Amino acid sequence: MIELKDVSVTYSSGVDALHNVNLKINDGDFAFVVGASGAGKSTLIKLILKEITPTSGTVTVNGYHLNRLRRRRIPALRRTIGFVFQDFRLIPSMTVYENVAFVLRVIDAPTKYIRKRVPYVISLVGLQEKAYSYPDELSGGEKQRVAIARALVNDPQLIIADEPTGNIDPELSYEIVKLLQSINEIGTTILMVTHEHTLVRQFGGRIINIDQGQIVFDEVIGGDLIREA
Amino acid sequence: MKLSGFNYLIGQGAENIWKNRMMAFASFCVLLVSLLLVGMSVLFYMNLNSMIGGVEDKNEVIVYMDEDTSDEELVEFQTQLAQIGNISKITFYSKEQAFEDLKTSMSDYQVLFDSLGDDNPLIDGFRLRIDDISTISTTIAEIEQLDHIYSIRAPMDFVNILTELRKIVTVIFGVIIAALFVISVVIVSNATKASVFARREEIMIMKYVGATNAFIRIPFFVEGMITGFFAGCVALAVTWFGYDSLVGLLTGQVDILSVIGMGSIISFQDLAWKVAVAYLLSGTLFGAFGSMLSMRKHLNV
Repeated sequence: MIELKDVSVTYSSGVDALHNVNLKINDGDFAFVVGASGAGKSTLIKLILKEITPTSGTVTVNGYHLNRLRRRRIPALRRTIGFVFQDFRLIPSMTVYENVAFVLRVIDAPTKYIRKRVPYVISLVGLQEKAYSYPDELSGGEKQRVAIARALVNDPQLIIADEPTGNIDPELSYEIVKLLQSINEIGTTILMVTHEHTLVRQFGGRIINIDQGQIVFDEVIGGDLIREA
Repeated sequence: MKLSGFNYLIGQGAENIWKNRMMAFASFCVLLVSLLLVGMSVLFYMNLNSMIGGVEDKNEVIVYMDEDTSDEELVEFQTQLAQIGNISKITFYSKEQAFEDLKTSMSDYQVLFDSLGDDNPLIDGFRLRIDDISTISTTIAEIEQLDHIYSIRAPMDFVNILTELRKIVTVIFGVIIAALFVISVVIVSNATKASVFARREEIMIMKYVGATNAFIRIPFFVEGMITGFFAGCVALAVTWFGYDSLVGLLTGQVDILSVIGMGSIISFQDLAWKVAVAYLLSGTLFGAFGSMLSMRKHLNV
């Protein structure tokens, strides 16, 4: 669960990135965060990942009170969150398998469990044939699926996808969102940041629109896919 | 952390060297050159110091005894000399021996010695070799406290020049070695910074997936350690070969050896262990901590 209460963030440069934001995302929710460039979407993500601390207000993520969270406890918080980057950010010197297994290595998971869990998650994103390929041997869509597998492998409570469709074809974008939806169906909270309004309209669901550091819209809408059905 | 996790990180460190071989090779070369620069300078300084020491060892203090000193008193005097520190060698120089030596050195003036008949105008003395000539004044002052001394002849000018020379050499080489050390630290730190910078993305990803700083640091530490260790090994081999070749070259040059003294050149075998430990230890530590310190700012994500 993510909860922001009266959160404001002012950077040292004087930029007001977020202003008095109140937001609650419950466990199991799927929410799109939309907004123009510079609206405050990235600041919101940075707050959730405890990259920055709010100037005022409180932030709670997966039971961690981030205002009081000590630096050395940040890894523990991040292990409850899966993160999908727009530019995939796979480690180029590692194979698909190693990139995914790496997250389990970080949490010191037993090797036996890693050997069982990683192929399963890779198969969930449909890349079992590419398990031993390196990132530069994959297409954009495949790389993003590896990134999703990596975000998913340690069974996090929350997955944050930051513009996950930004670097891939529109057809593949649809597949990626479908994949995230299917992950959401097994109970994982998904927060997807995007500026692709078409995609959002297509899928519908909870839409949070940020503009100039404030939430200007936070409602559930029916998507074209739902209407078509 | 479990043992399997620790083994994984050690393995990752070793594997990273191959995966990032170009940067690892660059770090290796920089470490090697830095070690050689500092190592060779230290060896050169040690040899120069040894050469000065060799010249110092040729010092000689002569204590002339009163003419009426009995044999028993001479023996007691020698015992008292032996109790004074800083004297490495005591040789009794009898007036008969001195007279014979004088005759030999002045053989052209035989007529002069003939006129003396059996009279020996010389007196008994002791030839002393001083250990540390920088404290020769104190030693002479102690000798002067003893009885039956007629006079003492000490090479004070020679001592002063050598003491000053040693001071100057120590200061100059101290500055050179310190400067080379600082330069090496800067170069090594820049090389490791470049190597870490190339992998900042990797570090950032690790941070985002919840890796602790220790988890990220250990492979870099191991990687730096292995690179540094091999740089130390190669530096040792290069120094050994270079040093032995140079000594071999000098051994054939009689003219040079007569100036510097053969015994003044330190053989590599005498230093091998010290040089090996210094190279391997500093290479390993430089490599390991260089990597670790350079990545510090990338951990603040």
